[in-house]
Amino acid sequence: MDIGFYLLQLLTGLAYASTLFLLSVGLSLIFGAMGIVNFAHGSFYMLGAYLFYAFTRGQVEGFWGGLLSVLASGLVIGALVERLLIRPIYARPEEHQILLTYALLLILEDAVRFFFGAAYRSFPMPEAFSSPLFILGSPFPSYYLFLIGLAALFALLLWGFLYRTRLGVWIRAATQDREMLEALGVNVPLLYTAVFGLGIALAALGGAALLPLQAATPGMAVDAVISAFIVVVIGGLGSVWGALLGAVLIGLLQAFGILLLPEWAMVFPFGLMALVLLLRPWGLLGRPPAVRT
Amino acid sequence: MRRVLGLVLAVWVGLWILALSLGPVRAQGQQPIKVGALFILSGNFAGYGKSGSQGAQLAAEEINARGGVLGRPIQLVVVDDQGNPEVGVREARRLILQEKVDFLFGIDSSSVALAVAPLTDEYKIPLVVTHAATPTLTEQCRPYVFRTSNNARMDAWAAAALAATLPVKRWANIGPDYEFGRVSWQDFITRLKQLRPDVEVVSEQWPRFGSTDYASFITALMRARPEGVFSTLWAGDMVIFARQAKQFGFFNQVKYFVNPVGAALEVLAPLGKETPEGLLVSARYWFLYPNTERNRAFVEAYRKRFGEYPSYNAEEAYAGLHMLARAVEKAKSTQAEAVRRAFEADGGLVYDAPEGRKRMRPEDHQVFEGLVWGYTKHTPDYPFAILDRLRIIPANDTAYPTQCKR
Repeated sequence: MDIGFYLLQLLTGLAYASTLFLLSVGLSLIFGAMGIVNFAHGSFYMLGAYLFYAFTRGQVEGFWGGLLSVLASGLVIGALVERLLIRPIYARPEEHQILLTYALLLILEDAVRFFFGAAYRSFPMPEAFSSPLFILGSPFPSYYLFLIGLAALFALLLWGFLYRTRLGVWIRAATQDREMLEALGVNVPLLYTAVFGLGIALAALGGAALLPLQAATPGMAVDAVISAFIVVVIGGLGSVWGALLGAVLIGLLQAFGILLLPEWAMVFPFGLMALVLLLRPWGLLGRPPAVRT
Repeated sequence: MRRVLGLVLAVWVGLWILALSLGPVRAQGQQPIKVGALFILSGNFAGYGKSGSQGAQLAAEEINARGGVLGRPIQLVVVDDQGNPEVGVREARRLILQEKVDFLFGIDSSSVALAVAPLTDEYKIPLVVTHAATPTLTEQCRPYVFRTSNNARMDAWAAAALAATLPVKRWANIGPDYEFGRVSWQDFITRLKQLRPDVEVVSEQWPRFGSTDYASFITALMRARPEGVFSTLWAGDMVIFARQAKQFGFFNQVKYFVNPVGAALEVLAPLGKETPEGLLVSARYWFLYPNTERNRAFVEAYRKRFGEYPSYNAEEAYAGLHMLARAVEKAKSTQAEAVRRAFEADGGLVYDAPEGRKRMRPEDHQVFEGLVWGYTKHTPDYPFAILDRLRIIPANDTAYPTQCKR
């Protein structure tokens, strides 16, 4: 068989999975630790793309600096949004969170249109990635490998952070029992600010890293948040590794599914989601809801 | 003293704003003819809606500057249908019932157009469509629905006429997975097989409309080794696809890439110098064709007004509003039945648009016009690719049979 081709297809699937992972891991992390369903998550992904465009002025030389600046500003923006907007409504019913984050989605879309216009914005391919690598004789764009590497790097960093640092342990503890964590003297509000900032920074980085291959529009936020929700529903809302698994499954399903059933490309992610919802409604790596008495 | 000064200032500013909104020339003392325009003004396709509403606006200003229609000024009421059929119907109903518009106009999305069309019978309010391209819209033979832009079947037939002349046997498709993409490919390949029975289809790819990742589709397509690829990817989909396909060397392997909506400025402008050269593309209007006084004057006026080149959606909306004005003029009335007769009379209403002659087919109310195709090429004169080696498909080559009768 045509091993080279299947390897190529595997890599395209993994590259897609990488973008989905960066987009959705923050959504899952924020829900897991804070219990917030962040409808505006895709908007911060969009904001990352536009901020990257603004920082670099669309000039290819600013690539690396732009990525770092977006990551840093994602942290700051996320922390500010949590302090100023989300914190006042923790005590309120959940509908209020959904209303608030949905309003944020609409406001950010209009803000981006106001400042950047409705035209598509893109970023040239950096020089370092402009020529393809050859994998078993087939050309493969090096930027896709960079994306896979970037996602793998952040998955590793996240693992190290969650399992090897005190803050990470607290975040994992927050997903289990917030009251107990607070009773033990941990500054939970500060922890929430950090988690929200981290989640938003990852989404913003994802949006920025994709700009050399895509085009930013004010409407991309809605598409992105739908994709992110599909990923985390499959993987398990609240589970970081679930987001990784969901992203990889969707990426590979698309890459190999279209070889078998080219007519049905659009159905794969939704079909997988429906299947998971039927068989394991809390997601592949999610935890079943505790029985309340 | 300060309060008096403030009051005077406020009154002065108020009068000034009022004067601005009235415009330079006005058909005095008459009720305006109200045209309710639906465009996509938010989301991913807002660029198209913006162009369309600008084109209509320019036409309305021109018409009003020369004294309006039947001595009445045209008043455009532009609303955002979000490309969503429910929103479109709600807004159209509101325009009819609250704004009391005489006509509905514009519409970018085919699904919105199909959803709004029944209102024309319900309220006897004519609809002039300037963008939505599904052939179904005019094949429903509704008495008060008119389309002044070319539709997807005409585009597919023009593409097939061109494809038949290319040294290509192995064809493949990559199109957005919804009605427009599916119908266009069916129309194209059916027509091409009539003209060239020896062609074969080696691959069909159907990414979701609005996809952001085409890598797997591109590699699957390249593996089938097509010589020609037909595509109806448009808007951001085409921008993103072209950028990713270029990374894979797709355009070096595939000799002919044929896209009937690829020459939209909404696609070429953001791609800038990244557009691959040699793509065989069209749009329903190309601002550098024809090289006539009429077209140059239109491009100049549009640039002066909006600071950009007119895209096809701008010109189609511009021409559509002028055509509607002409029909009203001819009907001497805004009444639906009279306007219908004016559109249909004398073998169909004719209008010489910037892009050339448009003629409405009386049976199905579809306008036919010559279509311009060309190969993308970069020049120092424009920051984006322009069309080179133009190929003009005469209106007759796209005149598919209709089932409508009048």
